Amino acid sequence: MSDASISPHARSGSLYWAIQARRNIGVRGLFVVVLAFMVAYGFLFHGLFTGSGFAKFTQSWFPLALVAMAQVILMLTGGISLAIGALVSLGAVIAATTMTGPLGVAGGTALVCLVGLGIGAATGVIVVRLRLPAIVVTLAGSFIIAGAALLVLPRPGGAMPPWLSDLLAGNTPAAFGVLVVVVLLWKLYLATPLGLSLYAAGENPVGAYRSGVPVDAARIAAYAISGLLCTGAGLFVAAQTGSGDPIIGNSFTLNSIAAAVLGGIGFLGGQGTMRGALAGSLLLSLMISVMFFLGFTPVAQYVAQGLIIIGAVAIPQFRMRAR
Amino acid sequence: MKKSSLFASASVLGLGILLNVLGASHADAAANCIKGDRKAPYTLGWANIYSVPTWMKQTQGTIEAEVEQLKKEGLVDKLVVTDAQGDSNVQIQQIQSMIDADVDAIILIAGSSTAPARVLADACAKGIAIINFDSLVDTNDVTAKVNTDSHQWGEQATKFMIDALGGKGKIIILNGPAGVSVSDDRRAGGNDLLKANPDIQILAETNTAYNVAPAQEAVTSLLFANPEIDGILSFGGALSAGAVLALDKQGREQVPITGENARQFLELWKEKGLKSWATMQPNWLGAFAAYTAVQALEGKDVPAFVKVPLPIIDNSNIDEYLARAKDFPADGYIYSPYDRELFAKLLAQK
Repeated sequence: MSDASISPHARSGSLYWAIQARRNIGVRGLFVVVLAFMVAYGFLFHGLFTGSGFAKFTQSWFPLALVAMAQVILMLTGGISLAIGALVSLGAVIAATTMTGPLGVAGGTALVCLVGLGIGAATGVIVVRLRLPAIVVTLAGSFIIAGAALLVLPRPGGAMPPWLSDLLAGNTPAAFGVLVVVVLLWKLYLATPLGLSLYAAGENPVGAYRSGVPVDAARIAAYAISGLLCTGAGLFVAAQTGSGDPIIGNSFTLNSIAAAVLGGIGFLGGQGTMRGALAGSLLLSLMISVMFFLGFTPVAQYVAQGLIIIGAVAIPQFRMRAR
Repeated sequence: MKKSSLFASASVLGLGILLNVLGASHADAAANCIKGDRKAPYTLGWANIYSVPTWMKQTQGTIEAEVEQLKKEGLVDKLVVTDAQGDSNVQIQQIQSMIDADVDAIILIAGSSTAPARVLADACAKGIAIINFDSLVDTNDVTAKVNTDSHQWGEQATKFMIDALGGKGKIIILNGPAGVSVSDDRRAGGNDLLKANPDIQILAETNTAYNVAPAQEAVTSLLFANPEIDGILSFGGALSAGAVLALDKQGREQVPITGENARQFLELWKEKGLKSWATMQPNWLGAFAAYTAVQALEGKDVPAFVKVPLPIIDNSNIDEYLARAKDFPADGYIYSPYDRELFAKLLAQK
């Protein structure tokens, strides 16, 4: 939903919009549901329209949006990662142990990014070059990475510079600004040769390879970017909580897949759009707050969550088949 | 305006009393996070980390019962409950929602000891009473923390075992999962006593989840390896039930054993005529947290940390517990009785 309005190609004519509109068909139902939830949330919680209310809300959503993107990049190439949560944890504990030390914020940020890129690229090389199933490699990887996070910080602790916490997760919508930048960068990336290869490598790798598409490079790059997004999300979680927790990221693995599937991303690669997944992650995050304000009991929340997810996924499918 | 007319009409004596009351309530409003601008009836928020385990359900039961009582007294009008399903990030978001909804108090079992620190600081700054119990946070931006002492749990259990064996014998030790703070703390609590009593020989130790089946399995294999066992030092109720069942299945004689207030264990205790000792993490910590929140909001001073003494079950009072068994779920915990008098006493301790 956000990238439709901030497209860098806005002036390139009606063909662009026609294509975008067609790509939206599968996720229109989801957009309607998300919009309905947004309206409901704004209606239930008027503070949403204040600066700090909007800031806090987007901060809850931000890490989930990043990991959803991290998962989608892989799923578009036909891959998947079960190490998302562990990488978030690792990013968080590295940030919380380095940033108040001699490395400082710049050094800590660089380390977090390097670790994410490095682990992501290494995973990519193993999956792509050794032709091993991504699900197995990333599952094994998740144990190693989770172990590494526990080695860095065995018990919850560490610290973040308070000014950084206040900057990223204070009363200003800085996190939302970062997300906008990330989405713009994604749009730019899709315009590069590697980015263009992403969908092709996922949908028809053999055909793409024969057409001269750098399939392996595109897939390895996707893993590296995915890793970077995960540790970046970890850095944000550390800033948001003011500390590091070696298991804080656990739930992000499943939630990233849920957001992607909600957003219409196919498991087979090459299907779906980032905007869908972002909307999916937004819905997951919105549901928690909206159901709180509606006064649902926890049990009712379990049921409602399941129904909404099934509804958001199934209704567009039914409508497509009915056509 | 109203205030000035009140002052004017008050006699010197009345003024004195009034000033006294005002002064006293000011001194009393020392409880952390409390600003004194919130008025009854209050809205309480119960931020649970995970609602599925039986212990949690029973704990929520005591909170709801306490809230019913507080409603009758006109002190509370609403209880909102959230369940983070084990996810610390979701718990933070739910606490944020509680702040957004302007609840008057938050009762919290934390999913992470560090992660909620910043959102709790926000809540504290808004004058929301925060009572954290069972699983505690590191931050001091709460009104009060409430818990029993896991270290003491282990120490008292070990003391019972040493006394039961007359200071000499072969024991096995059953622990909860490794790396879990409750499990580590209980085990550490027994260390000094075990060192001081070298005639107590530790044959083996196990680490299992706090469930009957894995404990039973672990003890069964230990029984094969050790024909002579004089006592079982168990640091968890379900573990004890598993050990008793393992002994029973192999036709071995029961030995002195420590445990917790799990109903299954207490019933086995009676059925097998054990010599045993048990304590508990009382479910009514939840009710006490709700009560404490309202006390703090009412301007009462509340200690920053309330250490709840461990209730003890032994052969002298096991029947009192089993007499109430039917009021508790079969897989639940028979907690010690509680009332307002006990709560007031706990809050009065310094």
